[in-house]
Amino acid sequence: MNQISSCSGQEMKKMFVAGSSWLEKSVADVNAINVFPVPDGDTGTNMHLTMRSTLEEVDRSANLSVSDVAKAMAQGALMGARGNSGVILSQFFRGLAKGLDGKEFIGAREWAAALVEASHTAYKGLSQPTEGTILTVIKDAANAAQATAQTKSDDLIAVMEATVNEARESVARTPLLLSVLREAGVVDAGGQGWYILMEGALRYLKGEVGEMEYSKPRMVTANIPMVANLPQMSTEKEEPYGYCTNFLLVGQKLNPDKIKTKLEGKGQSLVVVGDSNTVRVHIHSYDPGAILRYATSLGTLHHIQIQNMDDQHEGFVEMQKERLPAMDMAVVVVASGEGMKEVFKSLGAAAIVSGGQTMNPSVREILQIVDSVPSDNVIILPNNKNIVLTASQVQELTSKKIAVVPTKTLPQGIAALLAFNYEGTLEENAKSMESAVAAVKTVEITRAVRSTKINNLAIKEGQAIGIVDDKDIMAAGDVVPEVLLEALNKVGIGSTEVITIYRGADADEAETDKIVKELQSKYPGKQIETVNGGQSHYNYIVSLE
Amino acid sequence: MVKIVTDSLSDISPEWARELGVTVVPLNVHFGNDVYRDAVELPPEEFYKKLVSGGVHPTTSAPAPGVFAELFTNLAKETKEILAIMASDKISAVHESAVQGKALVTADCRIEVINTRWLIGAEAILVLMAVEAAKAGANLDQITDMVKKAMPRLRALMIFDTLEYLKKGGRIGKAQAFLGSLLKIHPILTLKDGEVHPYERARNRAQAKNVLMNFVKSAAKVERVIVEHATTPDEMEELIGNLSAMVPKERIHRSRVGSVIGTHAGPHVLAVSFLEGE
Repeated sequence: MNQISSCSGQEMKKMFVAGSSWLEKSVADVNAINVFPVPDGDTGTNMHLTMRSTLEEVDRSANLSVSDVAKAMAQGALMGARGNSGVILSQFFRGLAKGLDGKEFIGAREWAAALVEASHTAYKGLSQPTEGTILTVIKDAANAAQATAQTKSDDLIAVMEATVNEARESVARTPLLLSVLREAGVVDAGGQGWYILMEGALRYLKGEVGEMEYSKPRMVTANIPMVANLPQMSTEKEEPYGYCTNFLLVGQKLNPDKIKTKLEGKGQSLVVVGDSNTVRVHIHSYDPGAILRYATSLGTLHHIQIQNMDDQHEGFVEMQKERLPAMDMAVVVVASGEGMKEVFKSLGAAAIVSGGQTMNPSVREILQIVDSVPSDNVIILPNNKNIVLTASQVQELTSKKIAVVPTKTLPQGIAALLAFNYEGTLEENAKSMESAVAAVKTVEITRAVRSTKINNLAIKEGQAIGIVDDKDIMAAGDVVPEVLLEALNKVGIGSTEVITIYRGADADEAETDKIVKELQSKYPGKQIETVNGGQSHYNYIVSLE
Repeated sequence: MVKIVTDSLSDISPEWARELGVTVVPLNVHFGNDVYRDAVELPPEEFYKKLVSGGVHPTTSAPAPGVFAELFTNLAKETKEILAIMASDKISAVHESAVQGKALVTADCRIEVINTRWLIGAEAILVLMAVEAAKAGANLDQITDMVKKAMPRLRALMIFDTLEYLKKGGRIGKAQAFLGSLLKIHPILTLKDGEVHPYERARNRAQAKNVLMNFVKSAAKVERVIVEHATTPDEMEELIGNLSAMVPKERIHRSRVGSVIGTHAGPHVLAVSFLEGE
């Protein structure tokens, strides 16, 4: 390998041009791992654009000394910095120029000293320097360069190599220092970009320009098992400690008992509840990564929450002073029909109790679910008048704070859930959700269980009937679509803006399409949605909002 | 007199800025390799046309520290005191850029840079207050103090047709709770601690506008309101009409969501920001 003891200003420029081209090749890769401080996926782009402006400024200057080139680069970076990473990069070049002030050439010592200066400048310039970012990578690399320069003071390549090697190591360590990276399973994007820039510069110095043309930078990945070593370090510790991990696992043929057995050894306070499609998991663990990895092998994860319990405790004290935060509130819903349950889940219901008309859940069943959700404040939406009373008994059996919003139909439940205000307290929410119920009308189509005469309607057993707001039978007949349209007609659709039709398990899709077409021509301008509710007992449930 | 500087996340248009005598530093909007300075080079009309045209999705970036250094140095020729009222550092690097720009200024001039932790009309309200105080002869310390005390009294609410833009731009934060709905919803978000937070959901635009109205109505006392739209001026007027019963006309201001906020909010956002009375 050739040994270079120093380089000129023009060479330094070429070195950074090579680094910048090397970085350009990995713009997309760097963008992809950008999660901090704003996960907007543009770190690679911003660093590359900043470098372009940095180097353009050098082109404009005719000066050849290292000092002049460094100053021009600093000026170019300053005016062309883009985004957070660009701003830090501009600080880096500013510090580098300060460190190289008055120098004609860079040698090993000059480079190391300038890097140290650049690192200081970058830290000093930021209002909130964060470790585990490009800052840490620059600092670590600068220290390594300085250590090497002491023994190999005439070998610039050796010092650059030390810089790049340590940068790589440092990038791989960033998830240890910054939790958002750890959670996202990535290394810091800015650090990654800076490492690639430096690697390109080093390869230029080593004369590898030709090879670089046909290759691409290798991205650094986190290769350290992050929290896996903690249990050994903290055995026999009494205080609960680690990460409180919560999520909803959705899949097929799930076996909650098997999942429970599998997770038992992996943490404390384990709760696994659910059925073959949906399982809620709560566990205090030192290694949430391992838990999530296992769970993702079974299905998809939803509503994932991982909290450091030490922070949680501190946060708890804070929270007591302020009003109850919405994060600490969960909505538990009673519903039947897979499609209906999905709608509630998609709107943020923490858990669903299976039940409805002719299949009322017990207090115990509701209580179990209420206790399983990771919130101390729970709002229950019973969605059936026969379940309202059952739900209101839960409060006596749990230490959690409960509010029951007496929803009597599924559309009322959906309207209530939509009105959930994330900034409100339990009481405020119970109130606003209840008033939202008044703004929705429900029409349910089911079959008469016996022959009767009501509201001037002669109803035969087995006929379709249209019930409004769970009280009044407004239409009856043999043909389901006709009954539905007549019921809607009687309710009066005038001020309604959104009509949502939840198709039952027994209803036919072609029939639903016909109903929708009919409604569209009869009530033009209304927003009409159909959802495959899959509920039994009711052919159709229609909500008018 | 104290000179007031802000950024284009406040959605203060170039015309309004001239009227107020403030300097609005534009952020950048990138459509692929084309870079435009917010409002100055890309007025809202053109921007929203481009946004929905289905071409490349734009991204945004904060201006470089050097832009602030130059600006501050130029302003220092006219004044000895500058106040920079900047958008939330959790949403943009523009505050950081201003802080670094300030560090480079060698002129004999005091510069304060405030991280307001707000954006849009809420940030603009702070600018309006600062401008009035400066015109009334308040000094830098007095205005800084006043702005900092007003910050916790601001409220902001935005209604969206979709959160797709916010998600694409990586600014969705806790509002991701509103993603994935199987029903068509109109998300309503608030700003809290410098970030967007979920507030409520409505089933249609009319309901959502009611939530906006009730949001202002629920305040005990409203000192100043800014209503802003992206592409629906009629909705803005409708809202202002409804608000005029409770807030004197001269305290209600109109604004328009610019291209940088618009990149992340989408073409149909409608927002209300207000300063709650003490």
